[in-house]
Amino acid sequence: MTSSFKSIEENLKAEAGKLLESGRVEIVLAYGRGYDENHPMPFVAKHPSDVANMVFNEYCIHNLARYLVRYPRGTKIAVAVKAADCRAVIQLIQEEKIKRDDVVFLGIPVYGMKNPKTGEIIDSKTTCGMYNPVLYDVLLGEEVHGQKIVSPYDVLADYEAMDKEARWAFWKKEFDRCIRCYACRKACPMCYCDPCFIDQSKPRWGDKSPQSHGNLMYHLTRFHHLAGRCIDCGECSRACPVDIPLYLFHKKVAKECEEMFGQAAGMSIDDKPALVNFRVDDSDKILE
Amino acid sequence: MLKKTAINKISELAAVLMEKGTLLAPVKEAAGFNFREISDAGQVNLHFHNTIISPKSAFFPQMEDFVRYQTGKSILEAAPVELNLKPVFLFGVRPCDVKSFEIMDIHFSGTGAVDPYWKKRREAATIFGHAFDLNEAADPAEFYHTLGIGAADPQGSDIFMVTKDNDLLFKSITPKGKKLLEELTMLTEASAGDRKYFEDYIARGHDYKTRFASVEPKAIATEFESIFDNREFWKNVSNACLSCGVCTFVCPTCYCFDICDETLFNKGTRRRVWDACMFTDFTLEASGHNPRTNVYQRLRQKICHKYSFSIRKYGVISCVGCGRCTRYCPVNIDIFSIVEQAVKAKWYKRL
Ligand code: SF4
Ligand code: SF4
Ligand code: SF4
Ligand code: SF4
Repeated sequence: MTSSFKSIEENLKAEAGKLLESGRVEIVLAYGRGYDENHPMPFVAKHPSDVANMVFNEYCIHNLARYLVRYPRGTKIAVAVKAADCRAVIQLIQEEKIKRDDVVFLGIPVYGMKNPKTGEIIDSKTTCGMYNPVLYDVLLGEEVHGQKIVSPYDVLADYEAMDKEARWAFWKKEFDRCIRCYACRKACPMCYCDPCFIDQSKPRWGDKSPQSHGNLMYHLTRFHHLAGRCIDCGECSRACPVDIPLYLFHKKVAKECEEMFGQAAGMSIDDKPALVNFRVDDSDKILE
Repeated sequence: MLKKTAINKISELAAVLMEKGTLLAPVKEAAGFNFREISDAGQVNLHFHNTIISPKSAFFPQMEDFVRYQTGKSILEAAPVELNLKPVFLFGVRPCDVKSFEIMDIHFSGTGAVDPYWKKRREAATIFGHAFDLNEAADPAEFYHTLGIGAADPQGSDIFMVTKDNDLLFKSITPKGKKLLEELTMLTEASAGDRKYFEDYIARGHDYKTRFASVEPKAIATEFESIFDNREFWKNVSNACLSCGVCTFVCPTCYCFDICDETLFNKGTRRRVWDACMFTDFTLEASGHNPRTNVYQRLRQKICHKYSFSIRKYGVISCVGCGRCTRYCPVNIDIFSIVEQAVKAKWYKRL
């Protein structure tokens, strides 16, 4: 059996309340009410009384790991994490952006999360397809077992069937629709560079106007900056107001990385990011 | 003057307008609808609620070229880009968006500093406003009614359109609209019944409720002035904000832009490109100093610009309640909920 959204919400409130009351953490990152039921929002609780405003339902898709780096180093933070979100926190720990001791993982085992814009279930389509957080301090429901496991790479079938030219044409067409609002990088937990390369003016890496070459520069660079780091939460694609399927590229790179280095991003705090860690027995496939 | 045509003949009308000039109309795309220049009359699609990007792009495109130059050559050889506009027909604009043009006119020409690009594009355009479908429920994100804009208000349009069963009714609102309507001979004369339907529809538009109760601009402005320095309030409402460009780029009343010199090899263009006060580098100064380093300062600017500064300076709320910012915000931040929170707090009464 899996826990209902309601019971997860109750456990979330109870655990968050305890953590704040005991002073174990200063901040709890969770979900709160939005302008209607289908649109909950990321929510920050700082006082035990704040927890009354927390919610959890199938539309709580946001990856709260995104907000961790916003607080000064050393701030004690509890963060509600679904499977992919948990991997993002682990990845941030690997990258030394935050310390394990400063975070309390409030793990949420869940499936059937929905994109409020389309109503579609996102589980393995735009996210990593895992149901249980790989690491947690407190679990806010029973682990999910018996639910069909779908590979997060299954959605790549059509894309992988394309040849090089078709892929190029595909991305060219998609990127030409980009309006450069940067919601993708801002929603991404792994896009924490300040300033982002695309905002730099000396040197300037890409034009500000939304035209093919600048768009390509932005996206291809961003894609590669995320190689071996993207934990497949799908936030970038959902944040995009014009629905550019960024997840296809990220998943493809993640898949190749996994095949080449035998390691998926954000699975263990003892791992080193694949592209940072040099091992003599590393695959040479990338050079072929 | 009231005319009509069958909705399934809309592509015939589109073809005529394309012959007369440039037709901009809603087109269905991957993520929803957007106004686009029509190249095939069959593309025009009126089965939309509203577009993702507002129709401001018709007058204030995301990218506008000013001057073309070559590096290493004299400035005298740089050539200004001339705007040679054909007549533009902006087709299917919702009443809240039509209202936004009036607000944008203040910034782009009303204050005395006239932006020639905006002005020329505006003059070249004939606006076909289009009433919301009153039989369809309002979108939960929008709130134009709250701001006193009816779902079927014809003001600001040159021609206003109302759907009646399988027909589309056209009423001329301005002399420019009347002249055009006379030229569109493929439209047929409307009946007395159509005329009554049209007038009733416009009246019914005022009863078409979107969320929230009505507002008092002065009180809101006072409210925001009193809490401007209340960091706790602003931090609270901006905790979730990602500081991206979605809300400003989709908004019909956001008008900030950057002027960029974009050069490829030795060929360059000086152009303006939309900017957003929510971007980190929006206020970055050449010295390296940035007066708005925090997200809360940027969100405060966005909201106060619309709901405080604009009221004090020009007497209008610089928002038309189209709901786009709320609808497309990746984290569901809702501008009017923030306004409501501020007003409910009744800070100004306590000071
Ligand atoms: S690139 Fe996209 S899917 Fe990957 S971590 Fe960032 S937001 Fe998530
Ligand atoms: S969110 Fe979408 S439109 Fe915005 S910059 Fe990213 S890909 Fe482009
Ligand atoms: S309010 Fe929403 S859309 Fe606007 S900057 Fe913040 S996160 Fe982006
Ligand atoms: S602030 Fe939001 S609701 Fe108001 S006009 Fe802009 S997009 Fe529409």
